[in-house]
Amino acid sequence: MLSRRIVVCLDVQGGRVVKGEQFIHLRDVGDPVDLATRYEAEGADEIVFLDITAAPEGRGTMLEVVRRTASRAFVPLTVGGGVRSVDEMRDVLRAGADKVSFNTAAVARPELLTACAERFGSQAVVCAIDARRLSTAPDASLGAAAGAATEAVTQAAPAWEVVTHGGRRPAGLDAVMWAVRVVQLGAGELLVTSMDRDGTRSGFDTDLLHAISSRVRVPVIASGGASGPEDFVAAVRDGGADAVLAASIFHRRMHSIGSVKQAMAAAGLPVRPVEEAVA
Amino acid sequence: MKVSVFDYGAGNLHSLIKTLARDGARVEIETDPSAAVRADVLVLPGVGAFGHAAARLAPGLADVRAALADGLPCLGICLGMQLLFDASDEGEGEGLGLFPGRVKRLEGGRVPQIGWNTIEDGDDPLLDAAPVATAYYANSYVCHPDDASCVHAWSAHDATRFPALVRAQRTVGVQFHPEKSSMPGVELVCAFLREAAR
Repeated sequence: MLSRRIVVCLDVQGGRVVKGEQFIHLRDVGDPVDLATRYEAEGADEIVFLDITAAPEGRGTMLEVVRRTASRAFVPLTVGGGVRSVDEMRDVLRAGADKVSFNTAAVARPELLTACAERFGSQAVVCAIDARRLSTAPDASLGAAAGAATEAVTQAAPAWEVVTHGGRRPAGLDAVMWAVRVVQLGAGELLVTSMDRDGTRSGFDTDLLHAISSRVRVPVIASGGASGPEDFVAAVRDGGADAVLAASIFHRRMHSIGSVKQAMAAAGLPVRPVEEAVA
Repeated sequence: MKVSVFDYGAGNLHSLIKTLARDGARVEIETDPSAAVRADVLVLPGVGAFGHAAARLAPGLADVRAALADGLPCLGICLGMQLLFDASDEGEGEGLGLFPGRVKRLEGGRVPQIGWNTIEDGDDPLLDAAPVATAYYANSYVCHPDDASCVHAWSAHDATRFPALVRAQRTVGVQFHPEKSSMPGVELVCAFLREAAR
């Protein structure tokens, strides 16, 4: 039986893992290779490196981090941030990543997903969707004739818009429709982040996860809002997520991967036992 | 020991090379299939799409078939395992046909299958040497052998049971990625190389 994955996310800047709230007050957390191997030993099912280096000249540093990590860690590795072409994806994969996650680049040029999926297979193409909950239904606030946006609309089911640039820029897309579209284009997995919950430790947006996971057939990774083990259970059980991603609760050792997996197993969810991960 | 990895030109070979070199084997990357068989072990890695890989394999298809028939130990991983079969619904081209059967798309559940799945009903000596209980998969297609007696371990995705490990003498195919399955997977690759050295 396929396990539900626990994914640990490491924000990497200038070759170091950093952590900040909403990209400010960045704090050095450690060496990416050391942290990746530590999390592998603790039972992480997958590692995500999110490259938050703004400058293009930082690319070489990131490739070197990937290379060093893939030499020592033997769990799947996803790299997100800054990849904008098929050739750049090839470089990241050749350095030792298994998957590349696209966010802003996919919004700017959706056909990039298709080109990468054709070359490397859709299992290597992740589309990251940063979503923000709207107070009204999508048609009312995402353009069209909003003039007659009525109470009936605000009573409608919740809706989310896609945002880019760390949540600062609305993309003018409905998150659920966008999810359906990127899968058609070739994305083999979706990394869905609630920008309302990210960094708040108030739990995952299970409505958002459910809205997306019930509309697509590819795996969905839940992100944004992890506080404790019960949130991971809810993301899978209520949100229909196949994998759950978190960063700070593991970096700050508020919870161990083992305790999260224990809670998931107790809730009847299939997980890969932690002890197997230790050599 | 010289291990040659046939490179179809797509994706991550880094972790696989590190895994193969762990016990001191000399690992060489070969883009020419006829040159790739001049080694003690041939590895068909697991990245890319069937049609593209079959096209790269085509010029050396006869040489690779002859080498495998001659007893060259071969490890096929994911797509590399699928290339050991006749053909695939994923793309054009001819596989090695060492295992009669076809590669077909997974039905049911979420596709691609991405993640750790349990290895069931294993009865291969490699699994005795390296007891892999759960392994990492990233695939949309699985092998359907005409004769299931070549299958020496199974996994299931949703309601579909599919071969996790197939063997014909010294050729082994695994649908999962041992090089991404943490230490038990690395052990399995090492066990295969030890077996090949005998």
